[in-house]
Amino acid sequence: MIALVKTNYRDEPCFDETLAEHPDFPRLIALKIDVQRRGVSYTERAQNAVDPEIHQLRSPYIFGSRDGEIKPLPESLLLRDGTTILTDPTPLDQDPYIVDHIDGRFALIDRGKLLETVELWPKPAYYDKTTTSGLPMSHIVTARPQRLNVFQSSFCYFWTEDQGCRFCDIVTHTKQQRKQLGVPNRLRPEDVRETVAEAIKEPGRFTNLCLTAGSVIKGPRLFDHEVDFYVELLQAIGENFRTKKFPSQLIASAFDEEQLARLYEETGLTSYTSDLEVFGEEQFDWICPGKAKWVGYREWRDRLIRAVDIFGRGNVGTGLVGGVELAKPHGFKSEKDALDSTLSEAEYLAERGVTTVYIVWVPRPGSALCGQKAPSLDYYIRLARGLQDLRVKYGLRVDFDDYRRCGNHPDSDLARLQ
Amino acid sequence: MSIPLWAETLELLGDPDTVKVLATVDANGDPHAVVKKSLHAADDGKIHFLEILEASESSRNLTASLWFDRRVAILLFGKEGRQVQIKGKPVKYHISGHLFLDHYVKLRERLGDADLAGVWVIDPEEIIDESFSVREARHRAEHPSFIHLDRIAKPLGETGA
Repeated sequence: MIALVKTNYRDEPCFDETLAEHPDFPRLIALKIDVQRRGVSYTERAQNAVDPEIHQLRSPYIFGSRDGEIKPLPESLLLRDGTTILTDPTPLDQDPYIVDHIDGRFALIDRGKLLETVELWPKPAYYDKTTTSGLPMSHIVTARPQRLNVFQSSFCYFWTEDQGCRFCDIVTHTKQQRKQLGVPNRLRPEDVRETVAEAIKEPGRFTNLCLTAGSVIKGPRLFDHEVDFYVELLQAIGENFRTKKFPSQLIASAFDEEQLARLYEETGLTSYTSDLEVFGEEQFDWICPGKAKWVGYREWRDRLIRAVDIFGRGNVGTGLVGGVELAKPHGFKSEKDALDSTLSEAEYLAERGVTTVYIVWVPRPGSALCGQKAPSLDYYIRLARGLQDLRVKYGLRVDFDDYRRCGNHPDSDLARLQ
Repeated sequence: MSIPLWAETLELLGDPDTVKVLATVDANGDPHAVVKKSLHAADDGKIHFLEILEASESSRNLTASLWFDRRVAILLFGKEGRQVQIKGKPVKYHISGHLFLDHYVKLRERLGDADLAGVWVIDPEEIIDESFSVREARHRAEHPSFIHLDRIAKPLGETGA
């Protein structure tokens, strides 16, 4: 006789046990972290309750999902405090949270227990429209509950030399989206201008714009063509506003001062983010070989610091893929060492006016680190608290990348109390 | 635990002449009180108010109260001296969706170029009649010995002295 034994996907304390160790940490933010860490699976009942007329379904995104599929499922969830959870469909054998529909409301369930009622993201009005060129506007500019995303191009030149960041699936996902949805490789500024014009007709719906894409190393100087694309795009978007500057975030490569000055002076851009992804030179060289080869850790960091002189304190940030510093085989062996190292480097940057945020590492199927597991909820709680404490200590705001203007950083969710 | 609003409370909340004060505490227990004209009874039986300033102290404190399950207080002061205090918990913050958008549009129709950060929902848990006559009667009944003796002394001439 063969005994079937169900093994735990993760051998770790449960949510309530972990949270009990952190009485000063908001339960809803801890829940957000854990849902991002473990992903979600929608029951059939929940899927049947989704109304494509009012709920936003998954639209083109820069990264793929844990199940590696593109399906018409809800884009994501909102908690009752206005906190956004960005998460994606996850196979059941990876122990995701369950989203069910009970008594007329969507609910997050874990091990049969209802933890919170949630809302699905509301569909923006412009999602039903097409551009003059005939493209669905939802393929040009995607929405979060309060932000517009412009993914100018989902191609990253680091991948051409097999030097893409190890956690990233950008190119794998781009190919899948192009094949299955017909999403264009690169956006035309006129399509973006037209879509943004339509999107901001909806009263009270959006508070900022975020532009991002893969790195483009080409040009007379490194990244010149990437800067050209963004300038052109931001200028086209800017035609929709009566003010020169409009609330916006660019997440891009580490540009030099001349390139940054050009972006600041020639466009309406108000903030600049360039992701180091992981702190520490040794980790960076391993996790981000393309960034390490073309710029290098110290120079990437120095460029961030120099950007503060152009965009101002509180308007420059860097993003981490939180937890990837513990990836095998070269990552830290203990969560404590990883946390100490990460917060120490974040403090170095905070002292110099650069704020640090993290996203929860999801080892996606299209990435080099697929099959690994993200660290514990306890680790992410400590990381969120540590990064936010640094902002308080150094008087740094993160208005451009907070719970509302982004929604993907548990640490900047905490800035609501700052 | 959530309780229904009294008819008188609903009347006070609906009267534009009522002074409505919201009192909150921050994460460290520091108090803050401010007039919030937009406090109103909503169809869901809860009290809603419109937060115009996204980074206001009230909004920060309400977030802390929602996160850490703490109560806030609302004082309603009617034009004829009626006072009602409501204690409750913030349970939801609408930053998008139909309810938010509806308020956003109406607010701008009323105030012109105004912004709306969100709509807070407060679940009433306790309602206290704070009108002076009621408080005084309650006080007298509960603490009959809290009185200066001269107030109960016999008038001069009636004593045996």
